[in-house]
Amino acid sequence: MSDEEPSVLRQLARLSTVGVALVAATAVGLAIGYGLDRWLGTGPWLTMVFTLFGIVAGFLNLFRDLGLLRRPWR
Amino acid sequence: MTAETVQKSSDGKGIWLLLVGLVVVNLLLGFFLAPRHVALEHAPIVQFPNFLAFLGVPGTWLPAHVTFTWLVMALLVAGSLMATRALKAVPGPLQNFAEVVLEAFFDLLEQMIGKQGRQFLPLVGTVGLFILTSNLLGNLPGFQAPTANWNTTVALALTVFVWYNYAGIRKHGLAGYLKHFCGPIWWLAPIMFPIEFIGHLARPVSLSVRLFGNIFGEESVIGILISLAWLVMPYMIWLGVMLPLSLFTAAVQTFVFIMLTMVYIAGAVEEGHGEEQH
Repeated sequence: MSDEEPSVLRQLARLSTVGVALVAATAVGLAIGYGLDRWLGTGPWLTMVFTLFGIVAGFLNLFRDLGLLRRPWR
Repeated sequence: MTAETVQKSSDGKGIWLLLVGLVVVNLLLGFFLAPRHVALEHAPIVQFPNFLAFLGVPGTWLPAHVTFTWLVMALLVAGSLMATRALKAVPGPLQNFAEVVLEAFFDLLEQMIGKQGRQFLPLVGTVGLFILTSNLLGNLPGFQAPTANWNTTVALALTVFVWYNYAGIRKHGLAGYLKHFCGPIWWLAPIMFPIEFIGHLARPVSLSVRLFGNIFGEESVIGILISLAWLVMPYMIWLGVMLPLSLFTAAVQTFVFIMLTMVYIAGAVEEGHGEEQH
């Protein structure tokens, strides 16, 4: 069973989540911004803002998934 | 002991009715609706044909990953029924194994979520066993892992997404749960809310893409190696390198999926928002 692995494997498993977590949040932010721009016709601005939001959200998710932030705001 | 407490709650007849009903509905859906969905099916190089079409039953049937999902479901249901049908105080080998698995899940849940973790066993245990069985099934020659198809992993990730949000709302109430989204300082809330929103939307995306990508990539490499098997060397690479590696991937990806599920649930249901401490 995967549940009985030693803690090194557990930490490797946690580390392997890094790449996708960052990319997914950035992509979701980009998609939301692009969609809002297409809908509202507000030029490149919302795309830029929401991509930045997405990057920040990616790092936030990253720290949480790695267990570096136990509570939401620590 | 734990096997008793979990399995006693389901009465015998209801679950069979539910299963038969699900199979009938799925067959009907497959018969009438499948042609529209056939385009979604990816075509790996090594693919066991769909059982029903393979047996010569006419009609357009569901894509292969759905059939293999049924196979995994059947394996899990049969296994758990056999393990829990005749519970004894001194367990036999199968019941012993089931108890070991359950205890492992309970330990993990209490370690990651805390005292309230045990109530999430139905979700985490089902998802973990399903993913592990599917990943291992993909290693048998001729079988395709259901998790190598994005549709399956999206369904799993969306289930987890809905469930952890529901658990958070049930625990804190809608307003209390939304307060999690608004950050530590009140004037940061307009910035923090979209960031948190995007972060939560990204979770099912990353969960599903990670599992699907790992398993699909591994199956593709194995498929290419097997298609070159007449060169003998790729066959040895498959047996010596790819097979151990894919067994390892199966376990690690299962663990990653259920670990992240528990991290998300823990983040949604944890006590105190930080304001009390300031």
